[in-house]
Amino acid sequence: MTRRLAWLALGLVVIGALVYGVTDRSTATAHERAQKLGQTIMCPACSGESVADSQAPVAVFIRHQIADMVAKGESDEQIRDSLTAAYGDRIILNPPKSGVAGLVWVLPVAVLVAALAGLVVVFRRWRTPLDAHVTPDDVDAVERARRAEGS
Amino acid sequence: MKRPAVWVTAGIAVVIALLVVVLATRKPATDRLVKSPLVGKDAPAISTTTIDGSSRYALADQQGKWVLVNFFATWCVPCQREHSELVQFANAHAATNDAAVVSVVFSDEVSNVVSYFKQRGGGWPVVRDDNGAIATAWGVARVPESYLVAPNGLVVIKITGGVTDDFLEQQIARLESAK
Repeated sequence: MTRRLAWLALGLVVIGALVYGVTDRSTATAHERAQKLGQTIMCPACSGESVADSQAPVAVFIRHQIADMVAKGESDEQIRDSLTAAYGDRIILNPPKSGVAGLVWVLPVAVLVAALAGLVVVFRRWRTPLDAHVTPDDVDAVERARRAEGS
Repeated sequence: MKRPAVWVTAGIAVVIALLVVVLATRKPATDRLVKSPLVGKDAPAISTTTIDGSSRYALADQQGKWVLVNFFATWCVPCQREHSELVQFANAHAATNDAAVVSVVFSDEVSNVVSYFKQRGGGWPVVRDDNGAIATAWGVARVPESYLVAPNGLVVIKITGGVTDDFLEQQIARLESAK
């Protein structure tokens, strides 16, 4: 019973930590929000740079648009949707959470769950007592070995 | 010792030959049709002042004719190269009024654009896009980029790297016949 409670407590702590970790608790200013969003948008004229890091004219324009939309109160999702409508999904540096690309997010969690389940199965097997009995032949063999050692 | 040298030379020759073949068979830098999420959708609105600031331009007013929306800058060499082709295209349709050009300034000074058009000709509307709102709504990454808008207001093709008059006429003829 105590052991079960301990596992339950551990599970709650892990879930709590995960929820705490993924929740955005920041009270960012409009500028900070635009900057953060810019880091997730790829500069379409550069190779692998975000619009926040690039000085290409198009990156400057996109930064300006992001700032404008943030000032108008549009959500991050709306801003991303507006940019992907014009530039396509490739402009988003973070992979989308749906479709085939969504596997990038799902697979690590699935692997982790499978690994934990595997560990649980292995630990249970280790704790299960072996179904072995001592036969008279075994007793005789041990006796013979002892006598052989003593002589 | 001679044999390895021969093989190395032959290998380098083969690589160079392959490179030449690949480069020679690639599409030219101009008239390159590229994918765009806008193709098949309503053209994003353009409603702004022309570079001289004296009049307004609205793309919506152009319905019923083909419109080439051209993003350019005076500092861009391929834009300079395509300009005479745009002049040719605009002049060819001036009388029939079935196709038009509108140029959108991309990261450039108005004074440069005014003298550029004075030197190279072109009497079509040229609009400002100081904060890049038009360019980003159209998904422009670098100039020159052009979008052909059909008479019904849908974007039908996106072209990067400059256009030619012949190519535009071919595309319009193809799209007209596909109706």
